Amino acid sequence: MEVSDLLTARRENWRELELMCLRFEGRSRRVIPAATVNRFASLYRSACADLALADSYQLPPGTIHYLHQLVARAHNQLYRSRTFNVRGWLKELFVAVPQRLFNDNCLRLAFVIFWGVFLLAYAAAYYRPGFAENTLGKEMISYLDDGFAQPVTRSSGAAGNIGGGMVGFYIWNNAGIGLRCFAMGLLGGVGGLYATVVNAAMIGATFGYMAKSPNADNFYHFVTAHAPFELTAIILCAAAGMRLGFAIVETRGLTRGDSLVKTGRESVSVVCAAVIMFLMAAGIEAFLSPSEAPYEIKALTAVLTSAMLMFYFVFLGFPKEQGRGARGEGMMNDEV
Amino acid sequence: MPNGAAQLDTRIEIVTPENIAFQYRVAGPFRRLPAYLLDAVFRALIIFAGGLIFGLTLGFSGLPGLSIGLILILWFALSWFYGGLFETFWNGQTPGKRLMRIRVVSIDGQPINGIQAVLRNFLREVDAQPFYLFQVGLLSAMMNDRFQRLGDLAAGTMVVVEEGHWLRGLTQIGDPEVARLAAQIPVNYLPKRSLARALSAYVERRGSFAWGRRLEIARHVAEPLREKFNLPPNTNLDLLLCALYYRTFITERQDEEPIVPSGSPFAEPKNPYAFAEAKPWRSPTC
Repeated sequence: MEVSDLLTARRENWRELELMCLRFEGRSRRVIPAATVNRFASLYRSACADLALADSYQLPPGTIHYLHQLVARAHNQLYRSRTFNVRGWLKELFVAVPQRLFNDNCLRLAFVIFWGVFLLAYAAAYYRPGFAENTLGKEMISYLDDGFAQPVTRSSGAAGNIGGGMVGFYIWNNAGIGLRCFAMGLLGGVGGLYATVVNAAMIGATFGYMAKSPNADNFYHFVTAHAPFELTAIILCAAAGMRLGFAIVETRGLTRGDSLVKTGRESVSVVCAAVIMFLMAAGIEAFLSPSEAPYEIKALTAVLTSAMLMFYFVFLGFPKEQGRGARGEGMMNDEV
Repeated sequence: MPNGAAQLDTRIEIVTPENIAFQYRVAGPFRRLPAYLLDAVFRALIIFAGGLIFGLTLGFSGLPGLSIGLILILWFALSWFYGGLFETFWNGQTPGKRLMRIRVVSIDGQPINGIQAVLRNFLREVDAQPFYLFQVGLLSAMMNDRFQRLGDLAAGTMVVVEEGHWLRGLTQIGDPEVARLAAQIPVNYLPKRSLARALSAYVERRGSFAWGRRLEIARHVAEPLREKFNLPPNTNLDLLLCALYYRTFITERQDEEPIVPSGSPFAEPKNPYAFAEAKPWRSPTC
């Protein structure tokens, strides 16, 4: 068979496949009749076969180039990205993530570093005058002095308005810091370490400084309720970032690239859990923390949220028998 | 090296589940930067529009704080999840990428899933360092052959160019001289594959060369052929190649078996290569 005949014979199929690609590319989500899908798949397979046999058909380079592009295009439509799977994500968040975190050395390390630096900075700010000023800067100190001079009260009438604004600010600011902390971890784990240490030192120094100041009560009145979620979320982000960075160094028998990909895949859901915690913390911080509710209610909130976190990390995270954990892992890779 | 062979250009070979190898062209920074800037403009426009809507509706009904809060939430969502969501639901494209005709795919050619999309967009933060000028990303892209920034490396993705390439038919040659020369080429002469490929590359492009240049290019191949075919020395070498092309690709060769059986490639167990070989087919590069 001559090339010219072959081209005329095949051209119809190629054109049809191309038109179908064009049609599928336009619509992002549409139900496509089964017959069309079948037709598309068989056209795609025959284009694949033509490409594979292009050498023995002696097709000219221009045609081969066209075929490469046509097959790539059809391939992209045939194997589309799978859409969001709510059940898969829920399972991931409540089964796989706590299990993974329970045995995560990076989380332990981040936890120890964060609280170690926090306590150090707290003690230093409490006992050594000048430490807090140097660490936080003059502006922050004067902000703390002014901001907490009055007891935290807000008339409930304005709560919806100002609280709504503050929710937005806390989400934008705190969750942004957390995600940045995660991303920086990729730089050999050092970026995450640095961010963790800086955050812990700042927060520790703030606590130490305020504990000594006459406004201590007002300060604790404000921070108690949302602290558990917010601090845990920061630590989670930092730990996920560190793990990503360490994955390049400690590869566990994989190549560095594969190890990074594997860890990256696992860390996304951890970070998503942290973002959810940030969202909840922002809600509490904007509405409950600055309200005039008695301290007991705020303390109770802190206890309840801490209990929720314990439930999540310890109860859900406690190693189950091998089968369930493995299934969680499998879901991670296949369905989400 | 993904393919075990040195890579000369930006083409990446992918083996599909159908056991076919085809090629993608990876997108370099000069396509991705405009796409990123376009997306930045779109994001800014959305925030601006959101600000207008929230500000006008809530701001004037006495809730300016709430409107600022909503704008900040919108800003947060767009700056961290814009790319991730679009790439998940638009099959690896954001509006900017769609305009620049590029797409994110996994390094094995599969489309990306939500996790990969979200991860590579979270990690843009690192690539943008320092000072949001993307030096880290550029450095990382320079150091691997798929132009992957760090986010791409961690997510196992790459950005490829969607090529719009039209099918060109065989070049028609109307010159009667070509048909006359073609008749003089010995019937039993069959060009090898590499020569056939070179011939079609030459004939497809000769239209863009000047007369003298054509002769200069054609001479290296055509001179030995002319001697082999015993053609007179004043034969036009350019047209000789055209004649050979004509013979190879267009006219019927009645006197021999067809190289490949006609009809559907699936109905041909006669072809020894179609099913026996487990290795993926490497189709010829162009």
